[in-house]
Amino acid sequence: MPDFTCKLKQYRQARGLTQEQLAALVGVRRETIMRLEKAQYNPSLKLAVDISRAVGSPIEDIFLFD
Amino acid sequence: MQRKTVRGFVAAGLGCTGLMAAAVWYSVTYNESRLVEPMDFSTYVFRPQDLPMILGILAVAAYALCLAAAVVRAAFRARRDPDSAVYTRRVDPRLGWLGLLGFLGFGGFWTYSVDKSVFPFLFFLFFGFFGFFYEGRLSHTFMDERFRENRMRAQLSASRIALGIIFLVTVLLGRGRLLGNLEYTFIAYLAAVSLALALWLFLSEYLLYHYDRDGDGGESED
Repeated sequence: MPDFTCKLKQYRQARGLTQEQLAALVGVRRETIMRLEKAQYNPSLKLAVDISRAVGSPIEDIFLFD
Repeated sequence: MQRKTVRGFVAAGLGCTGLMAAAVWYSVTYNESRLVEPMDFSTYVFRPQDLPMILGILAVAAYALCLAAAVVRAAFRARRDPDSAVYTRRVDPRLGWLGLLGFLGFGGFWTYSVDKSVFPFLFFLFFGFFGFFYEGRLSHTFMDERFRENRMRAQLSASRIALGIIFLVTVLLGRGRLLGNLEYTFIAYLAAVSLALALWLFLSEYLLYHYDRDGDGGESED
């Protein structure tokens, strides 16, 4: 898995969303959001797009690849 | 299957077992063990004393057919359930104890010495049922993309290991004389393949649980 930094937590909190709410919005489990925030899971393009729409920020700002 | 149906099947199963046990006792005590011990059916002549055993066998056969039909019907009904595409099936982790049935495989050593029967070695497959301990923990879990990815990873790893063992055993025992006797070689092969398949069943569930849940201990909410 490529190394990346995930800024999802900060964008999610800025939107006032809990992990549970964001998970429901993008159709995954809360554990998956948690793994994403720890950069332990590399999401599919669709999930990345869904997340970016849900938190209202561009993908490239949320997921920073080296 | 509904709880009421399951209870009905358990009660009917106990009834059939009791009926069969009584019929076997009657046959052994009063009917020279006819239809209990292996017999030559080409020369079989009906006797009224055979009736309890015939009824017992018919009851067990009817029970097995009904049970199989109910299981198939329940499987089709579950497949039509829209939840089944999104959630994992509901499994009680206590079903994992069925894995203990795998020890019946050792009965093969006894049956082989008595009548050269090797079929019980296949019971080693039941060791795979220990996987229910882990499948039960993931019972009715929402299958998102991470879960599906982990399931594929787990099945791939389990298949690799099981196929590796089967390949190795095939190469080693394929010569047929490794244990000095073709029958022993076949028994070793049968036991090894059964154990490898049991390992595959178990590892598919264990690794899925391991990939999906490990590291979740320190989860943070916000």
